[in-house]
Amino acid sequence: MSTKANGIGGAAPAAWLAIAGLILVVAVPFAAVVLQGIFPNLGQGSFSSPFSSLIATLNDSALIGMAGNTLLLGGCVVLASALVAVPLGVFRALYRIPFAPVWDMLLLVPFMIPPYIATLGWIMTLQPRGYLQQVAGFNLAPFLFSLFGMTLVMTFNTFPVVYFAVSRTVEAVGARYADVGRVFGASPARAFWRITLPLSAPGLAASLMLVFAAAIEEYGTPAALGRRAGFQVLVTGIDLRITDWPIDLPGAAILSIVLVAMSLVAFLAQRWILSRRSYQTVSGKPSAKDKRPLGSLKIPVMIAFAVVAFLATGVPLLAILATALSRTISGGLALDNVSFANFIAVFSNSAGALAALVNSFSLGIGTALITGLIGVTAAYTVVKTKAPGRTAIDIMTVLPNALPGIVVAVGLILAWNAPWLPVTPYNTSLILLLAYCCILLPQTVRYTTAAFQQIGDNLEAAARVFGASSLTAFRRILLPLVFPSLASAMLLVFALASRELVASVVVAPVGMQTIATFIWRQFEQGSIGLGMAMAFIAIMITTLLPLGLLMLLRRSGLVAE
Amino acid sequence: MLKSLKSITFGVVAAALMAGVAHADITVYTAGPQSLIDKLSAGFTKQTGIKVNVFQATTGKVMARIEAEAANPVVDVLVSASWDTATDFAKRGWLVNYSSPNAAKVPDFLKSEGAVAQGISALGIAWNTKSGTPKPTEWADLTKPEYKDLVNIPDPAQSGSSFELTAALAGQDNFKLFNDLKANGAIIAGANADALNPVLQGAKAAVFGAVDYITLASKAKGESIDVIFPASGTVIAPRPAMILNWSKNQDDAKKFIDYMLSDEGQKLVADEMLMPARTDVPANRPLISDLKLLKYDTAAVYGKRKATLAEITKIYGGK
Repeated sequence: MSTKANGIGGAAPAAWLAIAGLILVVAVPFAAVVLQGIFPNLGQGSFSSPFSSLIATLNDSALIGMAGNTLLLGGCVVLASALVAVPLGVFRALYRIPFAPVWDMLLLVPFMIPPYIATLGWIMTLQPRGYLQQVAGFNLAPFLFSLFGMTLVMTFNTFPVVYFAVSRTVEAVGARYADVGRVFGASPARAFWRITLPLSAPGLAASLMLVFAAAIEEYGTPAALGRRAGFQVLVTGIDLRITDWPIDLPGAAILSIVLVAMSLVAFLAQRWILSRRSYQTVSGKPSAKDKRPLGSLKIPVMIAFAVVAFLATGVPLLAILATALSRTISGGLALDNVSFANFIAVFSNSAGALAALVNSFSLGIGTALITGLIGVTAAYTVVKTKAPGRTAIDIMTVLPNALPGIVVAVGLILAWNAPWLPVTPYNTSLILLLAYCCILLPQTVRYTTAAFQQIGDNLEAAARVFGASSLTAFRRILLPLVFPSLASAMLLVFALASRELVASVVVAPVGMQTIATFIWRQFEQGSIGLGMAMAFIAIMITTLLPLGLLMLLRRSGLVAE
Repeated sequence: MLKSLKSITFGVVAAALMAGVAHADITVYTAGPQSLIDKLSAGFTKQTGIKVNVFQATTGKVMARIEAEAANPVVDVLVSASWDTATDFAKRGWLVNYSSPNAAKVPDFLKSEGAVAQGISALGIAWNTKSGTPKPTEWADLTKPEYKDLVNIPDPAQSGSSFELTAALAGQDNFKLFNDLKANGAIIAGANADALNPVLQGAKAAVFGAVDYITLASKAKGESIDVIFPASGTVIAPRPAMILNWSKNQDDAKKFIDYMLSDEGQKLVADEMLMPARTDVPANRPLISDLKLLKYDTAAVYGKRKATLAEITKIYGGK
């Protein structure tokens, strides 16, 4: 490979790889969406009457309401996620928590529960005559169908992003820097607020931004809970424009661009916070990861972990399982209503269930590998090199954050279904791979960027001084150091890709089912139990498979405990 | 590490590519139910040797895909859940005129030059028999105090048949029924399935204007639910099947329409609890002749679609 040094690292190969990948995965569909917004008749292959629908859409009086609701919901979810996740993450990082791996696993599960399934689980639990009423005699429906309910359900779905980011970065910062503060006379609280927390800011800010982007982009929960509360957000507005005949693709494209703008502002704010000082804490000096005992805090901290784990994992999983095991929904929670028919139907490949599982998991693996490769090269280029155009790379990696799945799907169709293309991934499963890579790329990029930001430049420089080529330095020094973050991000991508719904429904090649489209079709036809059985199996596999993999990696020494 | 990552990626990509390339002889886009199109394509392939590739979603999502693909369309046959699609596509000149020999027994109002019904669904009141409420028999029954806060209405903006019912009933009394329902705590609850689910569990007692075949299929599975067709009249939703004029496989597409309307094909339709389009095919459910249909001018109703939906949104609150 290239030996030409560019700045400290050999930027060239990594930068080119990142740029090529990003153009294919992000820029092409995004450009198609922007062009669609400008040229309403793009779908017919015509560039006539440009900008005509821009004014109409932006003049729509509903737009301000939708945009305001979107920001409100995003803000509430970020705030609630931080309130739930930061204390738990800090305790997990600095103290010896009994059964820590078990709590980690329980708090990982909400990632694996598709948001629309979790929402349906909550509805079936809290609505009148729902599972809660059948068990405890009362229901909480008025709380559920409101901004409060939406925030709660979405928070329980997204807070693990913050929890794992905080626990990992605080752990990396360690107690060492705070101890220095203590030596110079700071109180423990002061040392935490002035030293540990600020040094953990990259991880915290990155994860909060991911939560914000996920919240403003989420479709299932606002559609199921918000509509009844008269609470419309941009994504539900986009969906309405795309599915209500006559279809308004240009209007949907313009609303998506508004959404993208919101996400970009959040991203720039995050960058501004981070650019004000250095967060390098991994310096090559060995650091002892000694954790403190909890002492008298033991009981309250245990209760907090248990309550959060029960609400985030227990309630949705139990609701899913109860529904999947019911012979009929109207039969309710009764022994004579228990039946394994739905699970048997999945395993006997009813309606193509097994094929859907195989499809989704292969696509998940492919997506994890590709986003991992693009993510690590893009993050390296942005953080560790002075390559020209690295801001463009950084911005391209954040665009998909705000693109709703359905818009990515439409953009991909517009881009790849042009009649003059000699070959096209459209109508093959490759188009789904492209869609998932686009939607999920920010996950790997954000996690590895945060990891790179904590690695001192002197490590790579030292390797180069001792004669390592830039590639060797990257491979032997940097990659192993970011690998824990990269691996967890890739496992997360695997889980998220294997359950993606909205883009899959629109862009799936003819005759191909994924887990999510299978579940969704069962719901559409009133076979809720069969859909829930499939959901339960998928959640189990997406939880256990990555955990097993992580365990293997740990044993092989690739990932630290 | 990087190298092996790359080769793995390449392998996965290649495998995914291979899996995705399936050579279909005809491509059918259809608005549910999946099991019906699965059985129809299997039977068709068995009879003719022609393979069928299927894309199934809601009518809205199918339309979004056709609209986005317009520059380079791939669909040969479209089965929509709303006759409005057939009217609209005919106006755009997108349909192939075809009169299947098997369509002789399909009544005239269920076929046009470019479209013919696959089957028909009707709207009714889906009612949970264990809800502790009296069995409703009329639309207006659901405005009674017994059903206070217990009625779901499918969103007319998301379902063609639901819109037609809303427009037809609202046209009779200038939205009085819908105002009364609102006053009785009825809510608009998403698309058809979203409206039905809470009624199955018992959170609500009834769906005002539920798609009958989904409800009847749930009943057949043992759910305590029933469908009531009010004597004052309801609306039906014929499901038009069309051949698109850009299809390069029009002869095979015609064979598919013929098979869909054959004895075997229509029996599969009836098995899904839909009304068969042909009047000479029996079905284990009420047929069009058993239902009273509301009278309304379809063209006029769709002409006022925006105004009607705006009025409903006004009554039921911002959406």
